[in-house]
Amino acid sequence: MKHGAIIMPALNEEATIVTLLDGVRQTTDLPVWLIDDGSSDRTASLAAERGAHVVSLPVRLGAWGATQTGIRKALNHSLDYVVTMDADGQHDPEDITALAEPVMRGKCDVVIGSATARGSRLRRWAWRLMRLTSGLQCEDLTSGFRVMNHKALAVLAGPRASYLDYQDVGVLLLLEREGLSLLEVPVAMPPRSDGKSRIFSSWLAVMYYMFHTLLLGASKRKRPWNSS
Amino acid sequence: MITLLSAVFGLSLALLLLMLVRRDQLHVSYGLGWTSAIVLSALLGFAPSIFDAMAETLGVSYAPVLGIAIAIAALIIKALLTDIEVSKMRVRQQRLVQKVALLESELEELTGRAPLDD
Repeated sequence: MKHGAIIMPALNEEATIVTLLDGVRQTTDLPVWLIDDGSSDRTASLAAERGAHVVSLPVRLGAWGATQTGIRKALNHSLDYVVTMDADGQHDPEDITALAEPVMRGKCDVVIGSATARGSRLRRWAWRLMRLTSGLQCEDLTSGFRVMNHKALAVLAGPRASYLDYQDVGVLLLLEREGLSLLEVPVAMPPRSDGKSRIFSSWLAVMYYMFHTLLLGASKRKRPWNSS
Repeated sequence: MITLLSAVFGLSLALLLLMLVRRDQLHVSYGLGWTSAIVLSALLGFAPSIFDAMAETLGVSYAPVLGIAIAIAALIIKALLTDIEVSKMRVRQQRLVQKVALLESELEELTGRAPLDD
């Protein structure tokens, strides 16, 4: 029997966390590890009341830093796989089984819950640019709804992954460079409940993210430039 | 005149360096690098004709510009090395924060006591 857990990085998600955890409980018995990235609201206490195991970071590390904390915990507990999902209600717990299936059967190392229909034309244009510079073939580069096996956990728990600020292009390139296989499974992703991104809180933040991601993609690209 | 100014500047910097190391405000390993820079600039200050010879060899028509260009290049390299060091420290800090959080979580599970305040 394979052992897994759900890793949920969270920052000020008291509005959605209760509904989300109730939904998870109805779908799966997997333990939920909520990595609280310095929430100033009741996210951590509400999650604990709902049966989640809460790990509180003493210093805010960002979504990827919080996720990696959960991954390190998973590796320490010798888990076979983890499901990473956001705490803002965008990821449907009912998709967990479909996402986990290819990993459980050994068909691939990482499954990405892909929802390319979401987001604006600008987002899709950004994805295209990221694919061009990084050489990555995935359609949904920024989805945080993933399932990863033990091999992937070992790669992403390491110091090289700690150099990354975001969970998308850098993480996918690192997995690719280590020879791990990625598979995309379509999922539905409704808009964020409160409409406010924690990462893209302003146009300046978006510009920084784009410059950062394009530079990272171009520098760590595995495929030759003429293969895009 | 320039030789005197270079000597005064170099000597002042050397004294400042000693004071910073003495007061534990600068790590000794960085003091070694700065000492080398001070000695080199002092030597060049006392022998400015070195720049004339280098400039002639490299085809630079105005020798003082070569000194400025070398100084700027050295500062850029120093800034880059500092950023590399900061990157390593940032990663170390992040991993330490993660470790602390995980250990606190395990302790809380074992003892039932909430983690220490910051």
